[in-house]
Amino acid sequence: MNTMTILIADDDPVIRKLFEKRLSKEGYEVTVASDGTEAAKLLHAMPFDVVITDLVMPGDIGGIELLNLAKEKSVEIEVIVITAHSSVDTAVDAMKKGAVDYLEKPVNFDELFLRLERIAEVKALMKNAGDLREAMDVTESSAAQTIQNLEITNSNLVRLLDRLEDILGDSRQDEFHRIEQALQILESR
Amino acid sequence: MLKISPEEIKLITKYIYEISGIYLDESKKYLLETRLNTIAEEHGCSSYQDFVKKTKADATKVIERKIIDAISTNETLFFRDTGPFQLLQHKILPELIDARASKKIGFKTPLKIWSAASSTGQELYSVAIVLQELLGDLSKYAIKLLGTDISDAAVAQASSGKYNKFEIERGLARDKLTKYFTMAGQTWKVNDQIRAMANFRKLNLMLPLIGLGKFDIVLCRNVAIYFTLEDRKKLFNKIADVLEPDGYLIIGSTESLTGICPRFIPKRHLRSIFYQLK
Repeated sequence: MNTMTILIADDDPVIRKLFEKRLSKEGYEVTVASDGTEAAKLLHAMPFDVVITDLVMPGDIGGIELLNLAKEKSVEIEVIVITAHSSVDTAVDAMKKGAVDYLEKPVNFDELFLRLERIAEVKALMKNAGDLREAMDVTESSAAQTIQNLEITNSNLVRLLDRLEDILGDSRQDEFHRIEQALQILESR
Repeated sequence: MLKISPEEIKLITKYIYEISGIYLDESKKYLLETRLNTIAEEHGCSSYQDFVKKTKADATKVIERKIIDAISTNETLFFRDTGPFQLLQHKILPELIDARASKKIGFKTPLKIWSAASSTGQELYSVAIVLQELLGDLSKYAIKLLGTDISDAAVAQASSGKYNKFEIERGLARDKLTKYFTMAGQTWKVNDQIRAMANFRKLNLMLPLIGLGKFDIVLCRNVAIYFTLEDRKKLFNKIADVLEPDGYLIIGSTESLTGICPRFIPKRHLRSIFYQLK
């Protein structure tokens, strides 16, 4: 069961349609944008797990700009860039800027599905690790409070014992006086 | 996978204890196998007995280093457990700055902080970020931050100041991330001004603490738990020796010094505890 939400940004209506059809069929929740500007608006308005974007799109917001916007919104959003064979260098550049992967045109969907599955796996592992850490944090902070209380109580008792030892062992005073003082301290606890 | 035989388990745990102070009992056989298997195979060992023999004979200590990297636990994160950092920001650092103002070197207030088991550096960089946020203009201070760890790999990563997104995401608030880190591909790098405050080097806490000088603050969190009771006593006694008389010790939130080191008194501030010398 594929549950990830995916945003597609491509100015070619045929490719857009193709992505929408193939990915929806696999069970992904797909939203499409016809250029970078529309994609940016959608990115701002809705949560996405993955953004698949063409590198070259008309307007102010191209693939790289969209990548930056996605990473700015959340580092957890994974971005796959689509590139023409001739501009692989730009795709590598995009990966340096945080894209998780790139695909060459024409897109091989089996390859894309594999990469999406890998992304889903990593996200599931991350969530699991997050859950474990959360459980550890809860256990840890609960244990910490108990230990801190014991630590302080113990330290106070040790100090009290030291004081009693001093008083009871003070040979300058008579025994009755020493015991009386010690009892006073114990009563005032 | 190369299996540890019942005869070998004592041999290997004893060896790991000797090189690192990390005490593992026989129930950790599976953990040892999964962590050491690759190294043993890489060096063509036919058994763990052979492995220990080869490691001891290796004058370059390459295998020994790999074993330490594999065995030491590097679970850490930025601002792990918020308590100690709030303690630093609201209690310890303001008190120390006041106390040290009279000890100025030239025009600078000295401050020495040691992260005794710095792992991959997140704890010390978190301290550096707290200092930066609290003090603003750092030119008025002579700050020395030292991070030490037994693992070469951990020290190397700490020195690089580079973290992947898994390491960066948790614990670090978005504003601090963008303010103090720069993204390069899939990794985040701590900014130069923060990086320059910290120094990292390898140190085995089992050995005498020589040439470190005295510290105003020592953080020794979640490392003594891997040591025997006797070794814990020795360690905190050594820490007491390198702490300024009015210095501060912070240990892990679930650790205790009861029955370990009577030279320290626990003190509570809000939901956290710190220790000072008697």
